[in-house]
Amino acid sequence: MPLITPDDLRKQLGADLPGAVASVHPVVEGLPAFLETGDLLIEADFLPRVAVYVRDVLGYTYLSDIVAVDYLDYQLFELVYRFYHLEGGRDLVIKVRVPRDNPSVPSLTPFWPGADLNEREAFDLFGITFTGHPYLKRIYMWDELDGHPMRKDFPKQGDKYLGDES
Amino acid sequence: MKAEGTMIKTEELQINIGPQHPSTHGVFRMLVTVDGETIVDLKPVFGYLHRNHEQIAEVNTYLQNMPYTDRLDYFNSMANNQAYAMAVEKLAEIEVPERAEYIRVIMVELTRILNHASALGFLINDMGAWQTPLAFGMREREKILDLFESTSGARLMCNYFRFGGVVRDLPPDFVPRLQSLLTGLPTFIDEFERMLRENEILRIRSEGIGVLPKEVAISYSVTGPVLRGSGIPYDIRKAEPYSIYDRFDFDVPIGTVGDVYDRFLVRIEEMRQSKRILEQALKQLPDAEGGHINPKARQNIRPPVGDAYTRIESPKGELGFYLVSDGGQTPYRYKVRAPSFINLTPLSDMCRGYKVADVVVILGSIDIVMGEVDR
Amino acid sequence: MNIPIERGKVVTVARGQSTSVAGFSLSKGLGVVFRHWRRAWFEKQHQNVPATASESAPNAGNDKSKPTAFVTLEDMSKSYGTFTVEYPEQRIKLPEAYRNMPVLLYDDETGHELCTSCFQCQRICPPQVIHMTQAKDPASGKPVPSVAEFIIEYDACMSCGFCAEVCPFDAIKMDHEFELSTHDHPSLTVYKRDLNRPVSYYESIAPGFWAEARERAYKKLATNMKRRPGAIGIAPHLTEKITAAQAQAAQAAAAQAPAAKAPAKKAAAPRAADTAAAPTDKEAKLAAIRARNAAQKGGSAPAAGTAADAPLPTDKEAKLAAIRARNAAKKGGSTPAAETSAEESPPTDDKAARLAAIRARNAAKKGDATPSEESDQPAAETPPANDKAARLAAIRARNAAQKATEAAEQAADSATSTPEAPASSSEEGKPLDEKAARLAEIRARNAARKKGDQE
Repeated sequence: MPLITPDDLRKQLGADLPGAVASVHPVVEGLPAFLETGDLLIEADFLPRVAVYVRDVLGYTYLSDIVAVDYLDYQLFELVYRFYHLEGGRDLVIKVRVPRDNPSVPSLTPFWPGADLNEREAFDLFGITFTGHPYLKRIYMWDELDGHPMRKDFPKQGDKYLGDES
Repeated sequence: MKAEGTMIKTEELQINIGPQHPSTHGVFRMLVTVDGETIVDLKPVFGYLHRNHEQIAEVNTYLQNMPYTDRLDYFNSMANNQAYAMAVEKLAEIEVPERAEYIRVIMVELTRILNHASALGFLINDMGAWQTPLAFGMREREKILDLFESTSGARLMCNYFRFGGVVRDLPPDFVPRLQSLLTGLPTFIDEFERMLRENEILRIRSEGIGVLPKEVAISYSVTGPVLRGSGIPYDIRKAEPYSIYDRFDFDVPIGTVGDVYDRFLVRIEEMRQSKRILEQALKQLPDAEGGHINPKARQNIRPPVGDAYTRIESPKGELGFYLVSDGGQTPYRYKVRAPSFINLTPLSDMCRGYKVADVVVILGSIDIVMGEVDR
Repeated sequence: MNIPIERGKVVTVARGQSTSVAGFSLSKGLGVVFRHWRRAWFEKQHQNVPATASESAPNAGNDKSKPTAFVTLEDMSKSYGTFTVEYPEQRIKLPEAYRNMPVLLYDDETGHELCTSCFQCQRICPPQVIHMTQAKDPASGKPVPSVAEFIIEYDACMSCGFCAEVCPFDAIKMDHEFELSTHDHPSLTVYKRDLNRPVSYYESIAPGFWAEARERAYKKLATNMKRRPGAIGIAPHLTEKITAAQAQAAQAAAAQAPAAKAPAKKAAAPRAADTAAAPTDKEAKLAAIRARNAAQKGGSAPAAGTAADAPLPTDKEAKLAAIRARNAAKKGGSTPAAETSAEESPPTDDKAARLAAIRARNAAKKGDATPSEESDQPAAETPPANDKAARLAAIRARNAAQKATEAAEQAADSATSTPEAPASSSEEGKPLDEKAARLAEIRARNAARKKGDQE
């Protein structure tokens, strides 16, 4: 039972929180299909406010998942936030795009403790910093690792860390 | 917390529980700061089983990923398979025939029973019962694993699901064996409950321990029996029905307090509900149309560009797969939303103020498996 | 929180009350355990353990010695207690679908491996542990549907079964062998010679699956076998045996050649063995033919026992032609003996005549040309040979004509044997026979003239 659709949400946000809704990343011409999305795209700075709006006003209290996707060719990271309403129904997806060098997004952890581990994982594997996170440290890799393994330009062969320097 | 009125200066000590520990359900480390025996803070450290599953999946084709999903939550391989198969089917818009759906439901509900049987067994084991309840649970588990072996070829790493159905149909002796198993199942559940439910040791060690209050439960993003133990009846099979779950009658058990004891009882009750679903599925199976796989579905697929997320109610919580496709043979991004991983979020809050011995019990009640946590 | 649930209700689990008597519930739980113990001990066991260890293990293809008793659990709802299966003396029977480690199949009788090196399993393998190289025809260098070397790294294999699923030729299948632990790590990189299993082995462990696959597997194997030259594609440990068996079969066929020429058998045997140097079907057939020829000649030629495979074509061919002519004559009169089909068994008279004519021509031709010596000009050989060939051709033509008339007579008399009918006996000769005879004569004359011209 869909409770709210992205278009309606876009309109509502346009009314209540102006400036939150972002256009598609302006740099890229001739967007590939997977960068076009029907889901709501939010400016990074507005993220906590939109999230709290979604939770308090619309009732989507369950944050299921935070996914970071690396679009190397377009020099951006995309973060996908997925909310569910406890009465059931479809998800509500909010996407945030940040440029690839020095990616930084405000953290949702102060509002949702459940975002904690997901954000640490995105930081560890992609290098996205979440400002306001209480304990932003690497979660899978060891602390001294240099680099972020899930990025598309991280060498898959791992030459740097296996065996001798050769 | 310092004891009131003592003149003795105590220090907080930071100790390690794990990563090699018989009760941490895998290689899992907890940095526990204790004051005496009471826990002040707990920081989970994981990554010891990190196998970079998500990046491997970007190199493999969609079909080649299927055996790797078995190894995520290695206790419930059928559930992992289903979530992944459903995600790819949603992305590529492949239909699943009815009989295949029934077979899938049967497999996943059997997985739920065997997961709860062994999870509770391990929980009681952690409390100090020297494997008697675990052996009871394992015996039922073995019967179900024999069924899996005769159908899919392996006990744990089943690799049974394909896009559009399952790899082969049920063997002819599957349904009779399952019937005989189901006749014996209520006895098992009742005995298991009778043996443990009012057991004084169990009650003392689990009532009031590891409380996750209802109001904050959902903000921790926990799902599965942990959430339902806290009193929120959110079950994905009811909330957003997938596959053919909207054809079955079953209840959603919830707890009241949100402690370890509630989660224990919720899991036992869920085993009963799974048995109900299995009985209904077996009754409806002969009338199901179609074969065991969609004959038009290709396994080496190139899904259209886009993304898809599907989730199922795995025995441990919400298991979801997020797939981004760029039109090629391999996924562009593949993420697993692992329930055990997210369910570990409230661990430190749940443990604060309790004793060290309770940590193990609380961890057992969350029911984690490190294959999922670390991927 | 009011969350609506369809087709079910929200059930709050009953926590119950702690009992007043401490220890009461504990003993209730212990009662459950006690009840199980009592049943397991005293009540009927519902489990089959075969009395003797004579039900043999299906993995007969393995070297390791196998204890053999099987245990099965019949009715799962009635098992009280847990029984220990005394491994390794007793085992649980593995279901057919069980998969652990792939193996390659080869056919028992022909020894041919089913694998054609199509690379499908290599492509689908998730951990990429399969490696293979395609066999090439040694003569032309072209790829042959057979696999030269096949390697599976057992230590990294996930036993997912994808290779067996996609194989279009049913060549790679999942084995049931799980006792693979070893101290020798390199031995876990398994080569083709250790991966090969006979089809009978797979049939014994997975009869249902093989019954489904059998038809199409053998059909495809038959097609592939035709495209495999020589011994390519035969399982390596069987190559010698299979080729020796083939040669023997050829020799047996050859030994069925006119048994009248009895002493030639000894000459035939070494000849067959010699000529089976390159073990192929074709060569074997050739050897058979040569053996038969040797057998024929053995009656007449004393020194033919040596491995002189490059005889002077003149003598031999001439002799051969003579013998054939004589045989043709004889056969025209007598009832057809029990000769193999390679002999000119005359079903029709004109055919025999034609054949004789052709042979006469060939004999004449061969009488001229020597392959090893000078150029191809037909004037090569020694004069007596040519004369001889020409004379022979004439003789043959006459004999053919004779035979034709005789055969006509025979047909007229409805198959009575009249040996040595005079050539001039007239009959209601079919114009064809006479024509054939005349043609033969003409050809012989031409051949003779040609020789005369070129000298």
